[in-house]
Amino acid sequence: MYTDRLLIIFILGTYLLSPAIIDWWSEGGRAWYRPYLIWLGLIALSYWIAKSKDVDGL
Amino acid sequence: MVYSVSDLILIACGYLFFLFMVAWITERGWLPARLVRHPAVYVFSLGVYASAWAVYGSVGYAYQYGYNFLSYFLGISGVFLLAPILLAPILRLTTTYQLSSLADLFAFRYRSRLAGAMTTIIMLIGVLPLLALQLKAVAESIQILSGTADPRDLAAGFCLMMVIFAILFGARHATAREKHEGLVVAIAMESLIKLLAFGAVALLGLYGVFDGPESLGNWLDDHPEMLSRLYYPLQDGTWHSMIMAFFVSAVVLPHMFYMAFTENLNPRALITASWALPLMFLVMALCVPVILWAAAASNAPTSPDYYALGIGMVTGGHGAILGYIAGLAGASGMLIVATLALSGMCLNHLVLPASPLHQGKNLYRNLLWTRRILIAAILALAYLFYRFTGTEHTLVELGVLSFVATLQFVPGLIGALFWPSGNRNGLFAGLVVGFLLWLLLLLLPITYPQWQFQGLMELLGMRFQTGASQWHHVAIASVTANTLIYAIVSIVTPMSRAEQNAAQACAVDSLRRPYRWELEAKSVDDFIDALTQPLGPITATREVEMALRDLRLPRTETRPYALRRLRDQLETNLSGLLGPSVSHQLMDDHLPYLPEEEQSSSEDIQFIESRLEQYRDRLSGLAAELDGLRRFHRQTLLELPMGVISLGADREIIGWNRAMEELTGITAADTIGSRLADLDPPWGDFLTQFSHDDNPHQPQQSLEVDRQTRWLSLHKSEVLGTGTSEQAGGQVVVIEDITELRHMEAHLAHNERLASIGRLAAGVAHEIGNPVTAIACLAQNLDSETDAEEQLESSQQILEQTRRITRIVESLVTFSHSGGIKHSQHVPVNIRDTVDEAVSLLLLDPDHRQQPFNNQCEPEHWVQGDPQRLLQVFINLLGNAADASADKQPVIIRCEAADEVLDVIVEDQGHGIPDELRDALFEPFVTSKPPGRGTGLGLALVYSIIEEHLGAIRVESPITEQGGTRFIIRLPMHAPTSGV
Repeated sequence: MYTDRLLIIFILGTYLLSPAIIDWWSEGGRAWYRPYLIWLGLIALSYWIAKSKDVDGL
Repeated sequence: MVYSVSDLILIACGYLFFLFMVAWITERGWLPARLVRHPAVYVFSLGVYASAWAVYGSVGYAYQYGYNFLSYFLGISGVFLLAPILLAPILRLTTTYQLSSLADLFAFRYRSRLAGAMTTIIMLIGVLPLLALQLKAVAESIQILSGTADPRDLAAGFCLMMVIFAILFGARHATAREKHEGLVVAIAMESLIKLLAFGAVALLGLYGVFDGPESLGNWLDDHPEMLSRLYYPLQDGTWHSMIMAFFVSAVVLPHMFYMAFTENLNPRALITASWALPLMFLVMALCVPVILWAAAASNAPTSPDYYALGIGMVTGGHGAILGYIAGLAGASGMLIVATLALSGMCLNHLVLPASPLHQGKNLYRNLLWTRRILIAAILALAYLFYRFTGTEHTLVELGVLSFVATLQFVPGLIGALFWPSGNRNGLFAGLVVGFLLWLLLLLLPITYPQWQFQGLMELLGMRFQTGASQWHHVAIASVTANTLIYAIVSIVTPMSRAEQNAAQACAVDSLRRPYRWELEAKSVDDFIDALTQPLGPITATREVEMALRDLRLPRTETRPYALRRLRDQLETNLSGLLGPSVSHQLMDDHLPYLPEEEQSSSEDIQFIESRLEQYRDRLSGLAAELDGLRRFHRQTLLELPMGVISLGADREIIGWNRAMEELTGITAADTIGSRLADLDPPWGDFLTQFSHDDNPHQPQQSLEVDRQTRWLSLHKSEVLGTGTSEQAGGQVVVIEDITELRHMEAHLAHNERLASIGRLAAGVAHEIGNPVTAIACLAQNLDSETDAEEQLESSQQILEQTRRITRIVESLVTFSHSGGIKHSQHVPVNIRDTVDEAVSLLLLDPDHRQQPFNNQCEPEHWVQGDPQRLLQVFINLLGNAADASADKQPVIIRCEAADEVLDVIVEDQGHGIPDELRDALFEPFVTSKPPGRGTGLGLALVYSIIEEHLGAIRVESPITEQGGTRFIIRLPMHAPTSGV
């Protein structure tokens, strides 16, 4: 009936991508702010989702 | 710069007093509601998560574990990024069922007092280290800045301040249904101050210690070990367990649950928080490495935990105070909210179930004072924990203890939301095992290092690392064991029916399937009587009235459906007051359902439908398609132009469509859930009789409604159950209103009669006319041929009678000619002039000479018609009215224009029309006049003429108690634009 597809995709995606992300992040050297860029990207995505539809009738 | 203890305490008091004022102003309503309910306030209030751990501990954590410190901030950000999926269902549950804590949620979901009590105890023990951390952080920061005082005494003083503030703003209402707006705004303000102060410390480091970002970059180039120290711990694999621990703690920690759900003033703000809160924590997390490097570069004279103070101490000025205020804000906010939440949990799950407190006279006061005592007790426990164990441990160790403890609630929470098969046995077993592992492998090794559990494990042939440095192993091990046991025990042990119902109510992907059980209480007064014994008369009345208000039900409500809703609402409201387990027990004891054997329970379709309506947005795929189909069928049934009533197996009304609403004038909202017999007369008896009748079809039944006869055709059919015991079948009744059809049939028959009488009249007139003319001639001859008095008188009488026959014949001829006029001969006719002309003609008659006629028609009232025939109409009507009126009783003629029709109303104050004549008034040869005075063709002629003019005529009599008759002629109005 109601499937948490977004949740499943998010968790699977995070799991699959996490080694690559952490490798990229660890190689940052002086660009120590790399994790914050990924984080900011997620926030922008979340903002876009929140703006684009009436989430779950709240 | 060194501060005196009194200065620092004064700053703390001043800061708390400022917060006190913010909360007070909000409570007084001096801040606009728009501001108080603004999503930003909610977002900042959730910043309570960033306790002293965020300000002090996270810098120490970054020093020790490098980039792993981010997991603290990323954990909560992850939770809120997924808020629409993870948090929205919890928010919906907590607001729907008035659940104010995780213990409430577990007690409600697993239908178990023990679940609530166990959650409360584990939560209390688990969170004590985190509370102690806050006391320690504030006390030690004062010690660092003053350089003298004993932090243990300072912690005691700070603890006391927290007790007072928590009581002042969090424990002023007894029930969770009243939100603490003052507290929410004060905590939001606290988060804002914390964020600004922490950011200011980072800027102080960036520009006070370094000369800006470029200088920091150069310093990092010169000290590559600082960067590698940050990156290195990422490789050791603890990253995932850390994220998991902080992810979970962001939901289940009592202060987070309380702020996010219990004190939520605006549910939509959760969506704003889904991006705004991660943004806030991003800013805070960005400050951490800057503070760490600035402190390292300036050789700050503190331990890494307190680098936020150290930078200010190195750079001079009052910079250190900024760090102190940030830490104070983090610690005080967390302490107040967590204590309030824990006190509520202890009250609902430990004190109330074990004491007769709720049976006292003044329930609300008892609850409030117990809660205040609990607040003081919890803070005292936190202080004791700090005093006896916490002083020797770092902030990181204390925080880790709490975060791993909260992980034990994960399986239960996921089960509550997503797995309806999880049961209380699984929860108990999983929690006990997870908690014991936490206790033995983490709490005891940290607080009592002499604990030799590791040796025991090695004896058993297991190699397992315990203690703070290995906390992620303990976290993984305890949660895995907890989850496995929860799942296995849930699968192998049975679930009670009540628990199944609650599981369905909580599950995200299913609907509750309640049954229509019948209550023993039959009215609202029965409810109050039943609750008076446990709650006292005042509380019982107040709670019942509040529930009635919530549901917008009247005090006179007796419908079984509505009473069931009232019981649910009462349970929900009392849950906010006494907790779900006590509330549920109270309802079962005092407002029980009838025993199952005495009733036929079936699914509460109405309730399921209303839930489906709420869940509409959440359906997708096949479910959405099926829901669309359901809506279509439901709409078809609703809009069917015939009355449809669906009845349950127990003859309770579960469906009432629009046509039924129009037919009966009773709305679906008023009927759903009641029995057929409870409907207003005459429908109740009429429908009940048919429902029980053996004949499934009853065509053309008459029913007197509002003094008018309605004709109805009734049909019914038994709906058989679909095989499962839940759907016991029922009955569907279809009602067709054929009143209009009957009227039309009568109208047609009337017209047919008129037409045949017209043909008869023409024939009769023709046949009688000739002999009558001959008789009249002969009588005139006789009159001229004789002088005998007797014969002359006879001939006069013959002439008189032949004239009378001629008049009758003429009226028959006139009547028979009606219907022959073509509409094309119609011209605009002024009603006022026509009435005046009819009046002047009538006044020529000596019988009507004294009759007053009052023509009130306006000169602008025109109709389209034949002036002569309309004149005939008014002569007949006015003549009748004059005949019926006594001397000097006026006949009134007035006009009412509406849209495109004109009502011409002729009113007299005469004796009225006898009942037996009223229905046949427009039939030929029907008259109330004495023999010889009227032919009974006048009104039949009027009827024919009005029909010709596409109008209508009706009669009302009597119009007053004394009598009187009113004829209302409706004629199509002549449009003035047609050039009159």
